[in-house]
Formats: sequence, C-alpha cells, structure tokens
Amino acid sequence: MKPNQHTRPCHILKAFVLACVILVFTPFAKAGTQLYPVLPGKVTSTQQQAIEYVEKISKLKPSAHWPNIKPGLFLKNLKTNIHNIVSIYPGKSTNFCGYGALSYLFLQDDPLGYATLLLQLYGEGKATFRSIIFEPSAAIKLEAGKLKYKGTLDINPAEQMWYLTLADHYKGYLNIFNRNYDEGDENRFWASVNYAKFNRMTRELLHYNSKARGADLMRPKVGSLYTYISDHMKTGTVVLFINNRILYKKDHIRLKLGVPTHFIVAEK
Amino acid sequence: MLDRIEESYKALYPLGPFNVGFTDRNFKTVSLEIITDTLSYIYEFGIEEPRLIDTLMAYDLNAAKINTLINQMHDIRCTWISYSDYYVDQKKHTLILMSIKPVALKSLFSYAKYYVLTYFPQPQYFDSEGRLLDKRKLRRLRKINGEVFKRINSKVCYAVTGHFR
Repeated sequence: MKPNQHTRPCHILKAFVLACVILVFTPFAKAGTQLYPVLPGKVTSTQQQAIEYVEKISKLKPSAHWPNIKPGLFLKNLKTNIHNIVSIYPGKSTNFCGYGALSYLFLQDDPLGYATLLLQLYGEGKATFRSIIFEPSAAIKLEAGKLKYKGTLDINPAEQMWYLTLADHYKGYLNIFNRNYDEGDENRFWASVNYAKFNRMTRELLHYNSKARGADLMRPKVGSLYTYISDHMKTGTVVLFINNRILYKKDHIRLKLGVPTHFIVAEK
Repeated sequence: MLDRIEESYKALYPLGPFNVGFTDRNFKTVSLEIITDTLSYIYEFGIEEPRLIDTLMAYDLNAAKINTLINQMHDIRCTWISYSDYYVDQKKHTLILMSIKPVALKSLFSYAKYYVLTYFPQPQYFDSEGRLLDKRKLRRLRKINGEVFKRINSKVCYAVTGHFR
C-alpha cells in the first residue's frame, strides 16, 4: 500500500515544485483546448482481418505473466474491442483517458496489430510492436485484472493490461515524481499524459501523419477554433486536449487552473 | 425529502435515463445529462429558463415530474443525482448516487465538502467500523469514486468528499 503522500515532506516538496511549474505558466493560459489533427495514413489492417484472426481463437491458457487475468474474460474483452471499437473504456476516476483515445485510434488504424500485440503481451509477458519493445514491470503484471470500482473497466482485463502497460512504458514530465507503479496510481500522476507524451505515443504506435498545435499550457493560435476543428475533421481525425474541469464539473471551486486534463477524439 | 428525491429519480430514470444537478454555487444553473444508446448529451440551463422544459419534452421525458425533482433538489441544496454502476463477481449492479452541499460556513481556503449518499438496491456488507465492504467473505473495502463509504442503514451509505460526483 502506498504511504499517504500528504504526510511525507518529500512528497509535499514534489507537489509544491509541480504546482509552481503549473502556476508559473498559468497566467499565459486560458481554459485549454489543444489540438491534434491527425491525417489518416495507410490503414495497416482492416477490422475484418482482425475479426477473422480473433474468432479463430476459442480458448486461451492462463498466463503465468499475468496471474490475475482470467483468460476467458481477456479473450471476451479483446473480441469486444475488435468488433465494437467504441467499447473502449478507460475507466472511472482514472488518468487513462489519453491511452483510451490512443487505443481508439489504434483500433481504427491497425486492429489486427492491436490484437496480435495484446495477445503477445498476454502470452509472453512482453511484446514488440514496430520498433517498440513493451516490457511491463512486475507491479503492473500483478495489478492487471485487479483494478476495481472503475465501471466497465473492472471486467475488461485486456484493457487493464494495455493501459497499465502504456502508462508503465511511456513517461513524460508529469510522471517525474511518480515513475513506479503502486496500488491506486492509475488515478494519480503516474498515469498522466501530457501533450508531448501523447504526441510521441501517436507517432510511434500509429501509422497516421499527425500534426499537433498548441502546448500543455498555451492555447493554439488558430483563429476561429470552431472553423479550425471543423475544417480538419473534414480531412482527418481530430483529438482535443481539453480542460475537463470546465466541461465536466465536479465541484464549485472558483479558482481553477487553466490546464488541459482530458483527451477526446472528435468525430461527426 | 432525501428519500422522496431518490424515489422520484428511481421512478423517472427507467422512462428515459438522465442525470441532473447544479454546477454553480448559487444553485441557479442546472446541468442535465441525457443518456441515449449511443451518446450522452450534456446541457446547462438557468433554472428558470423555458429551454429546460423544451429540451426535456424534446427527448420525450416527463418534463413536469423532472422539473419538480429539480426544484426539490434546489430546496435542499442537493448538488447532483445520478445512477452509477459497479461490478461484483463480474455481475453488473447499479446504485443511486446523490450529493448535498452543506450550508455551514467554511474558511476561505478550505476545500469544498459534499455529503455523498449512495442508495443500493439490496443490503450491503460492512465491517465493525461501519465501512462499506466489497463482499461478505473478502474483507476488502468497496470504494466508490475513490472514497470509502460508511453505513447509514443496510442499503444507504455516506461519505464526505471534495467532489459532488
């Protein structure tokens, strides 16, 4: 169990440094809507190919690498993702939204690649995709399948494994002070995704020609935001990095930092 | 009044799923989420705005009863009411989550606090300190939105949290 962060001086110092970084830049930022227009490139595989591949698998053996993942549930989850892309769900109260948005694009770009990658990861405990080598830590392997109270994610161990692996593999400046997984870190900075990290994941995992506008703390200078988003939605996929504290209010605090917190794939 | 709000919401929800609450401190702005098979539509209205009723009618919801529910929520400073799902042994269950903003004065820089109530459809298990448990045998605390809840009666629990949902 992770010690209470607020009772330890080093954690208070870390939180203070991070807060200072955000506060220093906040006067230049308004409620953030950062943009990632993503132009569709060559689709690497089709949904039909992925369906044919996963439907040939009727049973999986339990994996020694992932002791808390039930093979039947894993396979069911994988098949559901392939058949119905919008079934992707990063869970309640987690910081997995960036990985969820990325996975949604991944399932459109290369569903067969998604299926083979997840099955390799499950079977061998590590996997290689393009030039990326995923080698999840022991803590991740123990936790996947055990996440609870996250809504539908509770019964989707394949997605739990995938999001935890992504968060374990990719690191950005928001993860500096919390790099190793402890129980409950899926809700904390360990799982956070910043602007540059999302960009990096998109470019490495997907075959899209992606172009990003904006920054973590600065809104993009694109003139009319509506026109810009609408125009780019005609030619590609747009991912928005928005301040979810404004869109989805959870409290009545007056002073809110103008920093983006949430990734959304915009579609008609 | 709390039970009346819960019963009213429980009766209205199956006719057309929705969540509703107040997103401003003065309880003048109604946030309405209308849930369909494919999308959730999020609206904000002034409590007196005719558009609120028009929108409810456009979605074939019982506008009069939902409006009464909103007024009841307003009267007791009920910030939010929604359905939430959770899983036990891979089986889906639902509960009603209701939050209330206290009227007591607080210091300027302290966090806002909300009383969050959960209404379960069946009796729950609790430990000796009255904390909500996952299951009877497994002595793991059940957390909802990251919070540990305490017993009011066998089906209703509460927590004091910094978020109203």
